[in-house]
Amino acid sequence: MSKSKGKAPQTQASGLYKPESIKDVAESLNITNLSDAIASALASDVEYRIHQVVDEAARFTRHARRTMMTTSDIDQALRVLNIEPLYGHSPHNPPTFKRALPYPQSQAAGTVYFVEDEEIDFDRVLREDKIPLPKPANWTAHWLAVEGVQPLIPENPPAIPRDEPDLASAKLTTPPRAGPQLPPTPSSPGRSGNYGAKKPNQLLVKQVLSRELQLYYTRLTSTLLPPRDESMRTAALTSLRSDAGLQTLLPYLVKWVGDGVVGVLREAGSLSEVDGKVLEILLDVIGALLDNKTLFVEPYLHQLLPPLLSILLYGNLHPTNSTQLRTAASQVLSHLLTQHSTTYPSLSPRIMKTLLVALISPGKGKGTREGAVRGLIGVGKEAVRKGLLEGGGAKLIGSECSSGEASPVVGAVLDALRLLAPSSAQPRPLSPQNQEDVSVMTSLAALLGPFFAARVAPDGEWGRTILTVQTTAGP
Amino acid sequence: MQQMEVEQEKPPEVERMILEYLRKRGHKNAEQALRDALNLPANEQAEDASTEASEPVQTVSDEELRKHLVPFWERKEGSGDNALSDGDLTMQSLLTGGVTAPSVTKLLESIGPGGVDEILSVDPTDRHEGFRDLEAWVDGSLDMYRPEFRPILFPIFCHFYLDLIQLGFRDAGIRFFNTFSPSLSQTHSRVLHRFSELLLPSHLHDELAQRFRNEKYVLRMSKSGFSLLVGWLTEGLGGEASGAGEGFSGEKGKRGRAAIMRVVNNHLRFDVTTSNSTSVPPNAWEESSGLISDLIPSSGSGQDQKSDPAAFNASAGALKLGPAPMDEALRAETERRLREMNSPSAMQDVRPTVPAGLISPSPTELLPRPALFKTIDLRREVERVRDERKRLRLEPSALAMEKDPTSSAVNAVRARALPSVCAYTLYDVGEGAPCSTFSQDSSLMAVGFSESYVRVWNLKGDKLRGIRNDVDPNTTRDSNALRKAKERDAKSTRKLIGHSGPVYSVAFDPLSGSSAPPQYLLSSSADATVRLWSMETMSNLVVYRGHQNPVWDVQWSPMGIYFATASRDKTARLWSTDRLSALRIYAGHLSDVDCVKFHPNSLYLATGSSDWTCRLWDVQKGVPMRVFIGHQGAISALAMSPDGRYLASAGEDLAICLWDLGSGKRIKKMTGHTASVYSMSFSNESSLLVSGGADWTVRCWDVKGAGGLVNRGTVRENGVVNGIEDGKDHEESSFETVDLLATFPTKRTPIATVHFTSRNLCLVSGSFLPSDQR
Repeated sequence: MSKSKGKAPQTQASGLYKPESIKDVAESLNITNLSDAIASALASDVEYRIHQVVDEAARFTRHARRTMMTTSDIDQALRVLNIEPLYGHSPHNPPTFKRALPYPQSQAAGTVYFVEDEEIDFDRVLREDKIPLPKPANWTAHWLAVEGVQPLIPENPPAIPRDEPDLASAKLTTPPRAGPQLPPTPSSPGRSGNYGAKKPNQLLVKQVLSRELQLYYTRLTSTLLPPRDESMRTAALTSLRSDAGLQTLLPYLVKWVGDGVVGVLREAGSLSEVDGKVLEILLDVIGALLDNKTLFVEPYLHQLLPPLLSILLYGNLHPTNSTQLRTAASQVLSHLLTQHSTTYPSLSPRIMKTLLVALISPGKGKGTREGAVRGLIGVGKEAVRKGLLEGGGAKLIGSECSSGEASPVVGAVLDALRLLAPSSAQPRPLSPQNQEDVSVMTSLAALLGPFFAARVAPDGEWGRTILTVQTTAGP
Repeated sequence: MQQMEVEQEKPPEVERMILEYLRKRGHKNAEQALRDALNLPANEQAEDASTEASEPVQTVSDEELRKHLVPFWERKEGSGDNALSDGDLTMQSLLTGGVTAPSVTKLLESIGPGGVDEILSVDPTDRHEGFRDLEAWVDGSLDMYRPEFRPILFPIFCHFYLDLIQLGFRDAGIRFFNTFSPSLSQTHSRVLHRFSELLLPSHLHDELAQRFRNEKYVLRMSKSGFSLLVGWLTEGLGGEASGAGEGFSGEKGKRGRAAIMRVVNNHLRFDVTTSNSTSVPPNAWEESSGLISDLIPSSGSGQDQKSDPAAFNASAGALKLGPAPMDEALRAETERRLREMNSPSAMQDVRPTVPAGLISPSPTELLPRPALFKTIDLRREVERVRDERKRLRLEPSALAMEKDPTSSAVNAVRARALPSVCAYTLYDVGEGAPCSTFSQDSSLMAVGFSESYVRVWNLKGDKLRGIRNDVDPNTTRDSNALRKAKERDAKSTRKLIGHSGPVYSVAFDPLSGSSAPPQYLLSSSADATVRLWSMETMSNLVVYRGHQNPVWDVQWSPMGIYFATASRDKTARLWSTDRLSALRIYAGHLSDVDCVKFHPNSLYLATGSSDWTCRLWDVQKGVPMRVFIGHQGAISALAMSPDGRYLASAGEDLAICLWDLGSGKRIKKMTGHTASVYSMSFSNESSLLVSGGADWTVRCWDVKGAGGLVNRGTVRENGVVNGIEDGKDHEESSFETVDLLATFPTKRTPIATVHFTSRNLCLVSGSFLPSDQR
């Protein structure tokens, strides 16, 4: 015989059913003088009879194609053994046993369990909504195998990621044994938990990707880069945005994006227009990955952020599309944060820190400053307030700009201020005659620096709101 | 079969008489005599009074006796030596023990002093020691004999344990069990588990215990091995473990040896073979040893009981396993129709080809059929020819040949070797769906539920219309009227209500083949009935009653009209749809018949049973033709190969056995499933077997491959999962045989049905287990 039958009988022959239980039952029937010999003989007999019923019930379990015996199996077994079934036990709501509070009078009693018997108030039941009918049985069809190869679709279990938590749990609950005498079920080799670790990583990577996915990956990347056909690219991005089953590809795609960005930015000097285009596509890819609802991106966020922030903060983007790129990057960043900051609370503070460093630390170029401001816009209102007003970012940028300049960074700062407080449609300038306006002017200059105070001044209402934002929120 | 004489060194006259008596009847009767005497002191001839009539009285007196004797036993077991061996002391204790003196003295007189000793000195430690010595002797024997001797341990163990229980030595029995069962539990866990529950003499009415008591346990042994055993039993020669102390020279050793001898004489039978002990295949004992004598049907005349399955199978005569011959008129018409359709195969012979080496039955040997064929038969045959042409051929042998798993050719070979599998997953099934089936044209799926109903789905989404309730059958004369009588609106699914217990099997009729949807559905249930449902009207037509117990399985014969059922009442039955009672009853299995399967030419019926065997019956004569012994658990599924050569059976021992029907021999054993196998199906070329089961997988097996377990240390060529080589974990995969070609896991879906369509697409179905289920 195979070695799979190594299970020694679990039941101690001395009996699971103790003579004490017989005595308890006897006492409850007012038989107090039951001798030990009778109790022990009765206990063995009771146990044997229980085993008889369970043996019979096991056949019903087996033919019902189940691995768990239910009360209905016991009922069927009792029926064929010509014994009155035990009514009132349905497999739908199995009884829950509760532990009774320890009984101080008799310590020896041990733990007592009882079945909780809920009281049902008919009035309440009648008043409540009707009990919903359970859904009728239904079916779905899928390909378990196509010409001997199991396709990687959600309906099939994932092929390899053996260390994923859900698989680990699946392994724990691995099927079931039929009947009490069956040998312990060896976990099926298809889902064995820890054998990936035994192989060198290189080989594992080769195994993970099915041929189809490898083909998909090559096609996808060659379509996207270098930028050629607009419609092909749109199709590829749409596929990336909505197709299921790409989870195994995700690490490769993330790495591809990262490498692409690094490759472009590492080129010496300023970037050409084409490079900008490449970056834009890569940004689109990140956006598409975030959009895809079937992907579980969170573990890869720390790999996705560096390329994103690099695009945002790189100083020498090509002037024609730098603003556009940074705006796009900031939008992707904002998208990412809205999706993941709830489950990953430390995400926005960390990003903000990076952006503030880029904004405030001396010696950065205007491009970087602009990117930082755009990034703050992406992170949100509070980040803008912290960076530009509280952290003095506006003052710093203002001091670096010559008066009257209209570089992109100025636009970015104004955009940020508009996010903080909307500018009014019909601006009424602050007048130097009005005493109140003058004080507003002064505090604005203190807050934003003279350069931006002058920019804000034409719209008095805006200036005031900015001030109130700072005073209400600030220290 | 050989008997051995027990040697006793010149016993006194009386003692020998009683000993012979005891040996002849076993200890049970001696004890009965004791009881009788206690209860009926007036009866002088207590020995002969042990009739069935006094049975109920005996149990009472038995307990009485127990009560008085308990103190001695307890004392004795505690000290470990035989306190009762001293006859005088025993006498004294009995007389003072509260038993009415005259009855005891009378009893003792009737037995004589030696007899009392023999009965009361049945020392449980004898058997303990005896078995330990036997185990030591077996383990100490030469390597070449050890595999031969090991099987003897198990029956001796069982009988010793049953003896102890029967004599009321409960605690000694438990100790004996706990000491020696671990070494046997490797191969016999089921029986051991069952025996561990038997603790009182009254429990020995248990089915299995009775079989051990009443049947001979067959063991296989070579001539030289057998004489060694005899020598040891009589003389205590050889093989004694060192440090055994007084061992066999001592008094105790002798008594233990005598106990073994008693079991050997009364309950064992040795199949002494002339063959060399090393030439026996390792798994042969599965087929030819154990409690097999009752499993083997007595052949024909009932006179000569065959001792082993091979002999029975040889004596039962040759089988006609070829395909059923085709009606000549039907053949001509089918060919004409094919020509009309301009099919390129019109020229070919539409008759089924007879595989080499098989004999086709003559038309008169088939089950009676209507003389004239109908349109439906014609359509079926035409479709069969077309299917054969369009079928994807599966060649798993090519995959087995491919040695290098990394070569690029493998993928192409895999595609040719393995089928496409479409899984139908049921969900929200409530208490569970024990069975399901697909129609041959793959248009309908029927599922039987634990909640006593059957649900039919149209897989193409067409509506399943029944007949309206208000239709007057007297006015519906033609097909037009019938069409009008159909329901207006219907869904693509339909609930068939009628049974009053879980539905365990459903089957669509095969008459229309793959050309049209089937007309009838059969379902069997725990309420001991089989119901016939019309797919035309979606209603119940007939209830077949006859079985007394739950009906586990129902299968149509390959030609329709007839069907077979398997039931808990240990019988399988043959029915015809137009008769309410069974046509044939196939009785002979010792336990539930769990599954049935027709041979493709409908001449034979295979049954699988909980007595761990399969049988092949002659459908018309109702006699067993073959018996297949070798599984170590109840049979859970059967499959017949379409070419008529093989039977595949899956057991609760998680193995799938492949049997050659013609010779009745096992071809190979395929292991790899980790939980019960629920269903199996052969591909249309009979080259591939697909199985599904409770371990949530579908597995493909190479039928023609050699099989056998994987050699440790060598890299696996096949057994590939999703293109991933699966031979790393030898600990786990070592029980998989090499003919396991592929494993397709599902997500928590036990596979209840595996079905090949006529074009070799594999359909499987099962109900999804939500993970929150306890």
